[in-house]
Amino acid sequence: MTIRSQIDGNKATLSPEGRIDTITSPELEEAIAKIPEGVTSLTLDLSHVDYVSSAGLRVLLGAQKRMGGAGGTMTVTNVCEAVRNVFDITGFSSILTIA
Amino acid sequence: MKRRAIIAATMLALYAVLMAVAWVIGTNKAAESTNAQLDYAVIDLHDTVAGAIDTMLGHVARTAVRHIGSAKPMSLERMAAGAKELDIDEVNTVDRSGRIIASNDPHCLNVMMAGDPVMEPFMKLTNGVTATVSQPFRPHARNPAMRAKYLAAAFPGGDGFVQVGLDERRLSRMLPSILGYIFDEWLLGRTGFFLCADADTGKLISNPSRHRNEARTLAEAGYDAATAARYEVVADGRHYGTTFVQRLFGEKCYCRAFLFGGHRFVAALPEREFYSARDAYGIVFGTLLFVVLAAFAWFIDRVSSDSARLRAFYAAEEARRAKDLLLAETIQTSALPSAPPESPYFRLSAAMTPARSVGGDFYDHFPLDATHYAFLVADVSGKGITAALYMMTAKTLIKDALLAFRTPAAALEAVNSELCHNNPANMFLTAWVGVLNMETGDVSFANAGHNPPAAFRKGEWAYVSAKSGPALALMGGISYEPHQITLEEGDAIFLYTDGVTEALDPSKVLFGEERLANALAAVKPPDPSSLCNVVRAAVTAFEAGEAQADDITVLALRRLAAPRIFSRAFPPSIDSIAVATEFLDEKLGENGSPTSLLPVMNVMLDEVCSNIVKHSGASMFEVDVEFLPNPPSVKLTFVDDGVAYNPLSHKDPDTSLSAEERPIGGLGILMVKKMATSISYIRKHGRNFLSVVKDFA
Repeated sequence: MTIRSQIDGNKATLSPEGRIDTITSPELEEAIAKIPEGVTSLTLDLSHVDYVSSAGLRVLLGAQKRMGGAGGTMTVTNVCEAVRNVFDITGFSSILTIA
Repeated sequence: MKRRAIIAATMLALYAVLMAVAWVIGTNKAAESTNAQLDYAVIDLHDTVAGAIDTMLGHVARTAVRHIGSAKPMSLERMAAGAKELDIDEVNTVDRSGRIIASNDPHCLNVMMAGDPVMEPFMKLTNGVTATVSQPFRPHARNPAMRAKYLAAAFPGGDGFVQVGLDERRLSRMLPSILGYIFDEWLLGRTGFFLCADADTGKLISNPSRHRNEARTLAEAGYDAATAARYEVVADGRHYGTTFVQRLFGEKCYCRAFLFGGHRFVAALPEREFYSARDAYGIVFGTLLFVVLAAFAWFIDRVSSDSARLRAFYAAEEARRAKDLLLAETIQTSALPSAPPESPYFRLSAAMTPARSVGGDFYDHFPLDATHYAFLVADVSGKGITAALYMMTAKTLIKDALLAFRTPAAALEAVNSELCHNNPANMFLTAWVGVLNMETGDVSFANAGHNPPAAFRKGEWAYVSAKSGPALALMGGISYEPHQITLEEGDAIFLYTDGVTEALDPSKVLFGEERLANALAAVKPPDPSSLCNVVRAAVTAFEAGEAQADDITVLALRRLAAPRIFSRAFPPSIDSIAVATEFLDEKLGENGSPTSLLPVMNVMLDEVCSNIVKHSGASMFEVDVEFLPNPPSVKLTFVDDGVAYNPLSHKDPDTSLSAEERPIGGLGILMVKKMATSISYIRKHGRNFLSVVKDFA
């Protein structure tokens, strides 16, 4: 899985490509862990993500909690229909900030 | 008990009436019999006494003829001496001219007999042929107070005759010797008796042996002459008096009396005797009648109680039959496969409507293996519980044989052989057996005397007229010809029993194959369930209320599509999920799945497989990808040999909680459930089977 990471001061943007599933979600989790302290605005650009499985949701939930705990925000952008569907089913649409 | 009392009362009343009638008839018969007995007795008595007197007088007359020698004059003295010697009252010698030329009575001399109306009959003696002429007692010519009897015997050659005369009063001397024999030896009934007494003095000249010396006169014997006078007559060979009642020797008797030769003759029959006879007969008759009526009463009782028992028996029999029918129907219907098979490759629908009297129809269908499916209809001869039980046997045999031999022809041959081997009830059955190859659509079949099914191919219905073998259980050693037809996707076949084609309308017209074909053709598309319903409805409408005569069985099968199923097994590692995903994507791509479906399918595969790999402890897992034609859909089946786990049994997680409150877990299966069109779980053979279907649309 390829994850492009762009950090600009207190803003960070992660752009994973492909599927966020059982196999790839540990990589995303690792990428999020690498984001330095002090970043208060995290953007996940899912424009190249085909789908997200529950393993990926766990990672997203973990990221959301971390940013929220540090007084920051996390925004999910460019959600395709399949992913939107997963968010809707699981109630994540109301947890995440989806732009 | 009430019935018996009625019978007994009726019989007793009948007995009383019959006995009363018998008593009256018996009394009359006894009186008639007494009268007849007395009649014969007095006629016999008179004739015997008169005959004895004739014999005696004849003897006297012939003796006189011998002594006198010829018709010649003789002195009065000589004639008187002769009369005395012969102990006779009058002796006359008469010459050929009829003149008395010698007599012991001077008044008689020279009396001319010829021309005298009374004496003329004696003149026959001069014809040279007649030997003796007799006259009954009659008043004497010169002394009317006296009654005398004359008898004459001819001289040889009719040259005159000798006439002897007997005064009836002299009879007293002769009668005892005559009557002694008669009265002692003759029987009058059993206790009847005769009496004879002087008509003037009433002095008895004979006593019946039973009452010897009990009386010297009739009056002493109890005879009341004044009463009897009305009934007695002077016997003359025609009249002998009429019966009357007297008390003789202290006993009531029925009597006849007549006067003859200056004597009174009485025949008496004690009343006791004929009444005892009547009573004896009465006892015998009464006993017999009683026995007959008792037997009759017993018979009526038996018949009526038998009929009561019969009614009870028939009622019980009816109840038993109803129970039998219910049992037979239960056996018959419970033996049928309960649910149509759920298969993506074909639809099957079947129904049996038992007739009121339960026939032996049945149908069956079951898989032989993953690609072969057997289906059949059969009709056992006969009805009721025997047919139902035979049906069970036949059904089991056919199924076993199909599972063992796999082709209908071989199976039927084996079943026939087995059924012929032991068939004490002489039952038989017809059967049509087919096996569908789900991949190719080939239906191999064999027919044992059953109605040809109808097949829907190339858009139209036609009967499958393949050569049929004989019905099963008729004779052993038969082989059945294997046949085959092919059902393309969408084609159908319709099996039925003769209950369909031989259903009758109220005017006894058969439903027939043409009506069946028309009913089938009206069903478009030929969906099996619709085919069965339409045909059954058509038969019911045709019967128009007429009772269903036979079981009606229908079975329809429609081929849907060749199966498309792909399986792969994986070791239980995280990496396998990626391989499985590739496998799934490849098969989806190859089988026309919309690309929009890919993410959903991948998520579902990921969720299920990650659960298996992480939590089940399985040694392997398998993914089956199956494409279903109707409606177009894909079915994923995940098989693992891990711990039993039904993900569907868990409560869905609460998706409304905030990020901080959310437990992580349960979301995966929730997603699968939400994404799938249908989902099912089963644990069998130590494996978990989780199936997920997703429609293409």
